[in-house]
Amino acid sequence: MRPVTATAAFSRLARQVQGRRWASKLTTASEDELKHFNALASTWWDVNGPQRILHKMNLLRMDFIVDTIRTNLQLNSKDTPEEESIYIPPYNLDLLPRPIRLRIVDEQELKRDELLDESKLQVLDVGCGGGILAESMARLKYVDHVKGIDLSPDVIEAAKLHMKKDPILRDQGKISYELQAIEDVKDTEKYDVITMFEMLEHVKYPAQVLSAAMDHLEVGGWLFLSTINRDPISWFTTIFMGEHILRIVPVGTHNVEKYINEYEISDWVKTNRPDFVVTDSKGCIYLPAYGWKFTETALVGNYFMAIRRVK
Amino acid sequence: MWKAVRTLTSRATTSQPRLRDVVIIGGGPAGLSLLAALKSSRVTRDLQCTLVEGGSLASVQNFASNPPEEYTNRVVSLTPKTIEFMQEKIGNWAYINEERVKVYDSIVAYDSQDSDSRISFDASAIGTGTLAAMCENINIQASLWERIQELNMTSDVPAEIMDNVKVEKIQSPVEFSASEALDELPDLLEVDPTDGMSELDWPIIHLSNGESLQARLLVGADGYNSPARKFAGIQSRGWMYDRFGVVATIKLCYEDYRSIGWQRFLTTGPLAILPLRDDNATIVWSSTPELSQLLLKVDPEIFPHLVNAAMTLEEVDLNYIYKLLEVDPSDKSVLGEIEWRLSKIKLLELDSKYPLPVRELVEGSRARFPLKMSHADTYVAPRVALIGDAAHTIHPLAGQGLNMGQTDVAHLMAALEKGAKRGMDVGSTLVLEEYYANAWPGNHVLLGVCDKLHKIFSTDFTPLVYLRGFGMKTLNSLGVVKDLMIKLVSGN
Repeated sequence: MRPVTATAAFSRLARQVQGRRWASKLTTASEDELKHFNALASTWWDVNGPQRILHKMNLLRMDFIVDTIRTNLQLNSKDTPEEESIYIPPYNLDLLPRPIRLRIVDEQELKRDELLDESKLQVLDVGCGGGILAESMARLKYVDHVKGIDLSPDVIEAAKLHMKKDPILRDQGKISYELQAIEDVKDTEKYDVITMFEMLEHVKYPAQVLSAAMDHLEVGGWLFLSTINRDPISWFTTIFMGEHILRIVPVGTHNVEKYINEYEISDWVKTNRPDFVVTDSKGCIYLPAYGWKFTETALVGNYFMAIRRVK
Repeated sequence: MWKAVRTLTSRATTSQPRLRDVVIIGGGPAGLSLLAALKSSRVTRDLQCTLVEGGSLASVQNFASNPPEEYTNRVVSLTPKTIEFMQEKIGNWAYINEERVKVYDSIVAYDSQDSDSRISFDASAIGTGTLAAMCENINIQASLWERIQELNMTSDVPAEIMDNVKVEKIQSPVEFSASEALDELPDLLEVDPTDGMSELDWPIIHLSNGESLQARLLVGADGYNSPARKFAGIQSRGWMYDRFGVVATIKLCYEDYRSIGWQRFLTTGPLAILPLRDDNATIVWSSTPELSQLLLKVDPEIFPHLVNAAMTLEEVDLNYIYKLLEVDPSDKSVLGEIEWRLSKIKLLELDSKYPLPVRELVEGSRARFPLKMSHADTYVAPRVALIGDAAHTIHPLAGQGLNMGQTDVAHLMAALEKGAKRGMDVGSTLVLEEYYANAWPGNHVLLGVCDKLHKIFSTDFTPLVYLRGFGMKTLNSLGVVKDLMIKLVSGN
C-alpha cells in the first residue's frame, strides 16, 4: 500500500497543473500564443501527419466502444410483454436460412437503435489530448455530452480550437474541455461512459487513477481503457520499432516498466472492486499500410478493456 | 476596428453558404442511388443531403405515371449483383417498372473474321438463372426518384433535390474568405483566415440560382468531365478509342423466346443486339468516327437491313455496302445487295447461329457518343469522393458501366456507414480511404479487361485472328475459365 506517496504525487501533479494553468491564462489573449495553438492544432489533427497512428487507432477504439455498448444492451426487460419482446434464439443464428437470419438480426438492431436513442449518455474522456476520441464520441446521436480532461494546457487549447471546425460540435455544445486531473473531478459528477485510452502507461500510480475514475461511474456504466502488456513483444513493437526504427512516435514516449499486463488489471478489479466486472478485453496491433487490427489474445502487446459497473 | 470586423461578419452572414453534410453533384443513376442509399440506411439517414442536377428531371418524375410508349435509347445491362443491391440496400427495385425490364440468360459472342470462332455464356452454368437484365436508364432514375419521395415522407431530415441548377464554381473556403474580404474591405485582409465561418475547411459550391452550399462531403457523380474531380485536383488517365458508339431502339421480326444477347466483333468495333420485352431490342454499335456518322444518316428503312448484314455478312461485303451508302445514304439498291448475299447462307444456319432479323428502327432513337477509357488516380480527397463516370469510363462492350457505378455506391456507402457508426466526420479521408481501397482495384481490373478485349478484336491481322479464334474456341470448351468469366460479367 502506498496511499501516502500517492497523495504526495497527486498534490505535486496538482501543483504543477495549477502553475501551468495560471501561465496559460496569462497568455491566451496574445496573438503569438494563438498562432502557436493554431499550429499545434493543425499538426495534431493532420490525419497524415505525426499523429496518424493515433487517428487510425481511434477507428478501432470506437468500434470497441460502440460494439461493446450495443451488444450488452438488454433488449427485453422483465416487464416487456411477450408480443413486444425481441426474439433471441438460443442457438447459433448461422444455422438459419439467410432471409430469416437477416430478419432476426435486423429486428434486434432496430431495438438496439431505439434503446440507444433514448439513452443520452454522459461521457468523460480522461487524457483527451487534442480531442480525437472526444469528438468521435460527441458526434454519436445517443451521446448527450462529452467532457474531455487533460493535464497539458496546449493540447486542451488545440482541442478547443479544433472543435470549432465542425458545426455539429461547435453549435450543439456537446463537448467541453477542462484542464483537470481525474481526482479533481467533483464527486457529484457521474458518467455513463468513462474512457482512458493510451493513458495508464503514462501515470505513476495507475491503480489510484483507475479507482478515481471508477468512482464517477453510474451503475451499468462503462469504463473503457487501453494500455500495453509488459512483455518483450510490446517492447519490440512500441519502443524498438515504433520509436527507434520506424519513428512513428517520438523517442521517449514509452517506458516499458510502466506497462501493465492485462491480467494485472483484471485481477486488481476482481480483488479490489467487486462492484465492477471486466466484460471484455481485446488485443490489437498496428500493421503499417493497413492500420490497427484486433488480435487473438489480449495478453500480448496493446489491448483494450471494457469494465462495467454492475452495482 | 473591432466594430468594422463585426459589421463585416454580420454582412457576410447574409451571403453565407448553407451548410450541408453531403452535396452530390449529378442526378444520373449513380448520384440518385447514393442519395437514396444514404437516406435508406439507419446510420446515415440523419445526414443533411442535397443533390444538384444541371439538367431537368421532369421526364424522370413523369416516368412512373406516364411512361413513353417506345423504349428510350439509353438502355443499360444490370448484373444480378446490382439488382440485389437495389433490392436490399437502396430499396428502389420495388419502384422499377418491371414490364420494361428484360431478363436474359445467355450471351453469344462471335468473330466477324471466322463465324465458327464463338463463345457462349449461359447463366445456368453458374446456377443463377439470370445473367443480366436490360433496363432503361430513365426507369432506374425514376425508381430512385420514387424511393427518395417515399423516404422523404417519413424523414425528419428529408433529402433535397435541385434540378435545372448548374454548379458555377467550387471553391475552397480559404479562397472564399480571402475574396470576400477583398470585395468588401480590402484593409481587413490581415484578419486571421481561420476566423469566423472560414474555420470550416468544407468546400463551397456556388450554384446558378445564386445560392451557395458548403459541404462536409462533396460527392462528384458529375460524369466524365467532373468539376468535382477537377476541384479536388485528381488526375484522370486514359485514352480516346477513336471509336463512337451508336445506340438505337429496334423491333425484331417477332419476339425472341430465347432471351439471348448477341455480340459480333467487327474490326470496326463490336455490334451488340440486346433483347427488350416483346419484339423490342436495343443495339450498341461501336465503330469508327466515319462509319458512326454514316449510321446516323442511313435511311431509316435501310438501317434495319444494315444491322442484319453487319451481324451476318463477311467484312468484305460490308465494306462494299458501306461504300454504296456513303455515296447515297438512301440508296435503296443496297436492300437488294444485302438480301442477295443473305440468301447464300443456309436457313438452318441463320436460325441457329445468328440473331433474329431486325424489322424496324424506332424513329429518332439513333444517337452517337465517343468511346473512351479513363480511370482516376484516386477516388477520394479531403471532403471529396468521386463515383460513377467521374471516377472511370469504360468501353461498353461488356455492359459494365452502370454496374461499376453501383459498386462504387455500395463501397462508398459501406465506408460512410462505418464512419458514421464510429462517430467520424464523414468528409474525413480516414473514412473515405476505405472506399477508395475497396472500389479501385476491382474497377481497374474490369477496365483493363475491356480495354484488351477491344484491342484484340479491332484487328484483322491474320495471325492474330487465328490466335483469337483459337483462344475463343478453347475458352468455349474450358468450363472452369468460362464460369469465372460469367461470374465476372454478372458481377458475382
